[in-house]
Amino acid sequence: MVGLTEFDKNLRPAPVIAKSWDILDGGKRILFHLREDVTWTDGKKVTAKDFEYSWKRLLNPKTASEYAYILFDIVNAEDYNQGKITDAALVGVRAQDDFALEVHLKHPAAYFVALTTFEVTYPQRQDIIEKFGTRWTAPGHIVSNGPFILSSWKHENEIQLKANPNFFLSKPAIDRVEMFMVDEKTTALAMYEQGQLDFIDNDSIPIFEKPRMAKLPGFKAVPQLRGYYYGFVTDRKPFHDVRVRKAFSMAIDRSVFPKILHGAERPTSSWIPPGMLAHNPKIGLTYNPPEARRLLREAGYPEGKGFPQVTLAYNTLEDHKTVAEAVQGMWKRNLGVLVRLDNQEWKVYLKKLKTDPPHVYRSGWGADYPDPDNFMKLFSSLSGNNDTRWKNPQYDRLLDLASKEFDERKRKQLYDEAQRILCEIDVPIMPLFTTTEYTVLNPRFTGLEVNSMARLILRDVKPKGN
Amino acid sequence: MLRFILKRLLHGLAVLWVVATLTFVLMHVTPGGPFDRERRLPPEVLANIAAKYHLDEPLIKQYGRYLRELVQGDLGPSYKYVDRNVADIVRDTLPVSTALGLMSLAFALLISFPAALFAAYYHNSWVDRGSMFLATLGISVPHFILGALLIWIFSVQLGWFQAGRWGQVTSVVLPTITLGAAPAAYLSHLLRSTLLETLGEDFIRTARAKGLRETVVILKHALRNSLIPTLTVLGPLVAALITGSFVIEYVFAVPGMGRFFITAVTDRDYPMIMGVTLIYTALLVSANFLVDLFYSVLDPRIKAY
Amino acid sequence: MESSERIRRFWNSLGQQRIALWSLTFILVVSLSGFLAPLLAPYSPGGFEEKRILEGPTRHHWMGTDQLGRDLFSRVLYGARVSITVGVGTALMALVIGTLYGLVSGYSGGVVDHFLMRVVDIFYGLPDLLIFILLSLVLGRNIAGVLIALGLVTWVRFARIVRGQVLQAKELIYVEGARAMGATRLRIVTRHILPNILGPILVTLTFSIPAAILAESTLSFMGLGINDPYNEWGTSWGTLAQDGWRAMRSYPHILFFPATSIFVTILAFNFLGSGLRDILDPKGNR
Repeated sequence: MVGLTEFDKNLRPAPVIAKSWDILDGGKRILFHLREDVTWTDGKKVTAKDFEYSWKRLLNPKTASEYAYILFDIVNAEDYNQGKITDAALVGVRAQDDFALEVHLKHPAAYFVALTTFEVTYPQRQDIIEKFGTRWTAPGHIVSNGPFILSSWKHENEIQLKANPNFFLSKPAIDRVEMFMVDEKTTALAMYEQGQLDFIDNDSIPIFEKPRMAKLPGFKAVPQLRGYYYGFVTDRKPFHDVRVRKAFSMAIDRSVFPKILHGAERPTSSWIPPGMLAHNPKIGLTYNPPEARRLLREAGYPEGKGFPQVTLAYNTLEDHKTVAEAVQGMWKRNLGVLVRLDNQEWKVYLKKLKTDPPHVYRSGWGADYPDPDNFMKLFSSLSGNNDTRWKNPQYDRLLDLASKEFDERKRKQLYDEAQRILCEIDVPIMPLFTTTEYTVLNPRFTGLEVNSMARLILRDVKPKGN
Repeated sequence: MLRFILKRLLHGLAVLWVVATLTFVLMHVTPGGPFDRERRLPPEVLANIAAKYHLDEPLIKQYGRYLRELVQGDLGPSYKYVDRNVADIVRDTLPVSTALGLMSLAFALLISFPAALFAAYYHNSWVDRGSMFLATLGISVPHFILGALLIWIFSVQLGWFQAGRWGQVTSVVLPTITLGAAPAAYLSHLLRSTLLETLGEDFIRTARAKGLRETVVILKHALRNSLIPTLTVLGPLVAALITGSFVIEYVFAVPGMGRFFITAVTDRDYPMIMGVTLIYTALLVSANFLVDLFYSVLDPRIKAY
Repeated sequence: MESSERIRRFWNSLGQQRIALWSLTFILVVSLSGFLAPLLAPYSPGGFEEKRILEGPTRHHWMGTDQLGRDLFSRVLYGARVSITVGVGTALMALVIGTLYGLVSGYSGGVVDHFLMRVVDIFYGLPDLLIFILLSLVLGRNIAGVLIALGLVTWVRFARIVRGQVLQAKELIYVEGARAMGATRLRIVTRHILPNILGPILVTLTFSIPAAILAESTLSFMGLGINDPYNEWGTSWGTLAQDGWRAMRSYPHILFFPATSIFVTILAFNFLGSGLRDILDPKGNR
């Protein structure tokens, strides 16, 4: 499937179905102009109406979509989703004619066009969904518009795609794609090595096998816009004391993570990941055990003496466990503090973060859209995902200014200042590293890509030599 | 007979109802909910989802609703797999598990009967000790280690069988062996000891005294009378085998129902948890019922209570 | 038969079961070294040595080092006591609950027996793994939680066996006329029924221990086992095997040693169980 836009190599939204867009009224109104040659697999044209329908369906409370919030910047979208208004016509998205889609926003949002790269904003066919109900996605029912057509779907097992001969850009070079759902990485890897698969990624490569994979032909390492961090719950003693938080952050040698995880994780002391605007590796606390011990002494715990029993919680997964145990070891060695590890199954973990938070918790964040706003807002006072319970009005103000700033240089300065508060001054979190996707493609093929937001792009796959 | 069947049916329904109730309570006591995500959903979005699945109602009302729908044959929607019903998922996955389970059972029977017969025939010889040693090995290896070992030897090193891609001839062998190993070992032990016990009975001595060949004595007289204890364990064993095994399906990428005994819990997919539990229980109850029915056929002295 | 005579005969027969005897010795050695782990282990079970990651076995590290450079031998030693405690503890808990339940049910007979056995039917009707996981999530991820969760799903086996034995023993008692001679209920249970069912119980107990160790390792395989490396009661063999499971190709030693420990220990318990069954329960009841 394709939507209005997709990311280009620099992660900026590039035209696909939308051939251009106008940003009007100081950023509060966006007018998308659609190509007129895009067709559905049943031959009908893709029109602005299909977008309007799809977006309103996403927002309809009856759909109960988990992603409805993506469009909450649109006028009345949130109220409609909450049932405060029931008339969908009041929602600020409208097909002006077959090929012009008009969107009214509540406030200027520089990132809104980037949201249209996200699959949930892709167009849908009202007639098909109304005809087939919940079975509209089944092979034979589904009507799509991308380079490939769903030809078979054995749930939890196997998906088959065939090339769409009428794809408006050009018919793909390969006729057929088979995808297998294999839960266990070692099994998937065995399948690749047996020649049953042509492509594998992180989900199919056990961490211990990564060094071996990196030597294979067709190997690629793709840095991801995904940060891995530990948060301090700042209203729990002794982490209410910023000196303790700083000491804990400075006692971690982040260069060990690629070694113990066997991949190309990139250690980081700042929060905005490399590859994103305003990334600044100079920000953050670096490894400094003597200074860490000094801070801890100042906070009243010389050599860790008298430090209360604290808990580091993480959810069950092999990588998280390895990281947590390494961090536990480094804190013990550098600070003399032995934290207790609390390893919880995922849902129990999420529940605990809300109701009975540990002192320190593991978490991560992957970009919804490749803009620093998405990363930094995670720790704003209003964020639903800020489990540190840290609030700083200055930080919030900087983010607000930055989101309205259209000058990139000034924007970067604002984010630098905010990152300093986050990673050097108040330290509610300690960033550890950003992740990297390992992929191996059978050398008979070229052109299969995973972008830095872990999305698989099949369109340009070709047999080698063609 | 009809009274017996009717009584057992009622009893089975009662067991199902209690199991449903227990599971319902237990899963709601377990911390964490189906829509807790790393990326917290905004409260209004959560409210819509809760309303859609009636999770905003008091538990007792949800319980009533569940039972009402269950009686009408509706197992409800899956929370995890959007737009799919528990019944759809079961329809897709149970046959896979059943096929694998039956193959494993066949494998277990094919191994255990000859093994037990030989062991009993050559009682206390090296054949006996050797096969019982192997059988003990069979019940001592964790599935995940056996499975990984088999994949490593037969897929990666030798390249004989496939590790995943369920459905091909070469991909069903390894999971069948892995799943069948423990039942094969268990049945060998059981059958051997009942055979030995039977061989000590009077009627066997009589048969031998009549000058019948030992092979005939064992195959015709002893085996037949040793089947009852085997049948007893076969009921629950079959129910467990055909509803699938999480570890095996996970390791060999088999699209069966066994995985849901775990993933439904880790996803807190409530209708799915209830669904797989009830199917398992129903199968178990029916299997036990069939076993009892067989009993009364095999041995008329036994009144199936 | 006098009880001293019984015990003497028992040891004599055990002497003839060589594999069982070796197994018992092995189990005792493993359990003892597990419980003496703080004295015997050359290194701490926790820690992080970034310079020693995943080294193969050497003179200093007999089993090599793991993914964080910890001494695997020490971890396996500490793991022994966790796994054996889980196995034995679960089995004992199941034994106590199950035996009492079975005694009450079998001895009372009638409506009580009928009701109690229907409850057992229900427990049998539950898919164990699913219930076990739900329970362990409710009870918590530590040795006590796992122990209780496992105990709660396995006691029914004992209940059935004990009840069956009690029913058999009861018939015997009627034949012997113990009742008619005015023996009290408690006396009947302790003098006549318990000694008769001791054998089958011991056999079931021996087989329950490896089953519990296996169940814990399956739980660990799903990442839900006992894990807290610095805690001396914090890491089971199952967790160690799970850590090494995906390293089978590149660093086989971190799977080999924990997996072999699990396997050989379970094997030993099963051999011991078979031996005991041959001695105590020649009819092969289970």
